[in-house]
Amino acid sequence: MAKFVTIGERLSTTAPAVNKAFTNRDPEPIIQRAKQQLDAGAVYLDVNIGPAENDGPELMKWVVQLLQSEFDNVPLALDTANKAAIEAGISVYNRAKGKPIVNSADAGGRIEYIDLAAANDAIVIALCNAEGIAADNDERMTYCQTMLERGMELGMDPQDMWFDPLFLVIKGMQDKQMQILEFIKMLSDMELNSTGGLSNNSNGMPKAIRPIMDSAMVAMAMMCGLTSAIVNPNDLRLMETIKSCDIIKNNTLYADSYLEI
Amino acid sequence: MPFNGKSGKFNASINTVEVGCGEKAMKIGGENVFPFYTFDAPIENAPKIGVMITDLGLENEPAGVKAYYEGCTTLGEIAKKAAEMPGADFVCLKLEGGDPNGANKSTEECMAAVKEVVDAIDVPLVISGCKNVARDTELLQKAAEVAQGKNVIILAAREEDYKTVAAAAGLAYNQKVGAESADDINLAKQLNVLISQLGVAPANIVMDVGTAAVGYGFEYVVSTMDRVKAAALGQNDTQLQMPMITPVADEAWNVKEAMATEEDMPEWGPQEDRGIGMEVSTAASVLACGANAVILKHPASVATISKMINELM
Repeated sequence: MAKFVTIGERLSTTAPAVNKAFTNRDPEPIIQRAKQQLDAGAVYLDVNIGPAENDGPELMKWVVQLLQSEFDNVPLALDTANKAAIEAGISVYNRAKGKPIVNSADAGGRIEYIDLAAANDAIVIALCNAEGIAADNDERMTYCQTMLERGMELGMDPQDMWFDPLFLVIKGMQDKQMQILEFIKMLSDMELNSTGGLSNNSNGMPKAIRPIMDSAMVAMAMMCGLTSAIVNPNDLRLMETIKSCDIIKNNTLYADSYLEI
Repeated sequence: MPFNGKSGKFNASINTVEVGCGEKAMKIGGENVFPFYTFDAPIENAPKIGVMITDLGLENEPAGVKAYYEGCTTLGEIAKKAAEMPGADFVCLKLEGGDPNGANKSTEECMAAVKEVVDAIDVPLVISGCKNVARDTELLQKAAEVAQGKNVIILAAREEDYKTVAAAAGLAYNQKVGAESADDINLAKQLNVLISQLGVAPANIVMDVGTAAVGYGFEYVVSTMDRVKAAALGQNDTQLQMPMITPVADEAWNVKEAMATEEDMPEWGPQEDRGIGMEVSTAASVLACGANAVILKHPASVATISKMINELM
């Protein structure tokens, strides 16, 4: 099995400092956050430029080139509702360290993001969801099949479709958590890759609790076969848990210094 | 459905390490397939063969080895002749005389031997110790200094002495560091991590993950080497992508099949043939498990293994 793929989530317009840096094309805060995440062990970096209705393509190009030139062609997930911006980003993207990830498609209004990934030989995060939250795993699986078929018809390698079960918030949907884990197991049994916004599960919890809950969730999800997650790589407890799970799953070879590498 | 052959080529590859300098410099490693899987992808650098000589000269060597070096009176001449051995790519000088339980030569004497060999040859050189850890720490550190500018492999830095030996070889004198562990895959990786953390670049590290003569716990050697290559290529483990070098001669010529005289074991046949047999079968096996270089001593073994590599590449 391949090593778990962490996608760093800290370059997002939801963070005011990042939003401001994107708007002003100020490289410093962006480079600083990217470096923090890579030093902590992130494999991919997510670049969320928000809806970016006005200058999306130009902004995405700028960020992609900034990050890849600064960090040896670091692989990126391009995250925006503006499709033209994703295409613009891919047009300047260097694939030396990994294909770009399109973040994200779903089985509803955003299904065409699969077409976009297929046309650009990219990986796509495929959210097993349409409108509202899926009632059960049968519904999630229907969405998964719909998207898988669409991708394959367009010539995509199924390994390039990373299915997202949609992690749900525990405070409010505690009774759904095992369902999500079971769905990850179903994806894994089909030998499909999976990913998702892990920290959704601990949304609304006290700050001190979230790393603990996220770590427990990632360990259980990796047990079920989760192959990737969108995470805060600067959460030390979480990263240590992921590295330890990678050892237990025999994804990486143990050495006494495994937490340092 | 038509059969679609799938290439066993990996996205990861073994590091390429350059040893020696000038025209005769050699490259080991670089492959992105399993050993000799040239049908999956070309292997740019064929495995290399080294010839082991010791600072004690030829006294204890088998007749065939003595015959090859006939007429050589100094260590420098022996080294020169070893470098010319058909099929050989490099020379390995073993500082056997430094062993406190053996000849117990002074460090100065040992370094004079290093200097003599360094000056005599233009092929790449590997310098190995006497296997006494405390003594090797001193000898190898000094040897790295004496051989400065020659880009040699210092074999080896171990868990006990890596801080001194790897720092001298890899940082102070810009040589290649051989990281030695004994059939322990986790330690093999850990040692690479520790040496890297000292600041030695991965491209300056090679591994000796341990060996044994065939028949002497060799299955441990096989599984260690196999798993190192599998992790390096299959899991893209950058801490295991260092090429492997395996000293075979010492092991193969020190087991009873090679040491029992024909008088004692008439039914086993000529003693020297048995030693060659042990050396050849051990070398062939470690190469099949992924060794990027082997160290042998008998000209007949070198010729056989060289032919094998050429036929398989």
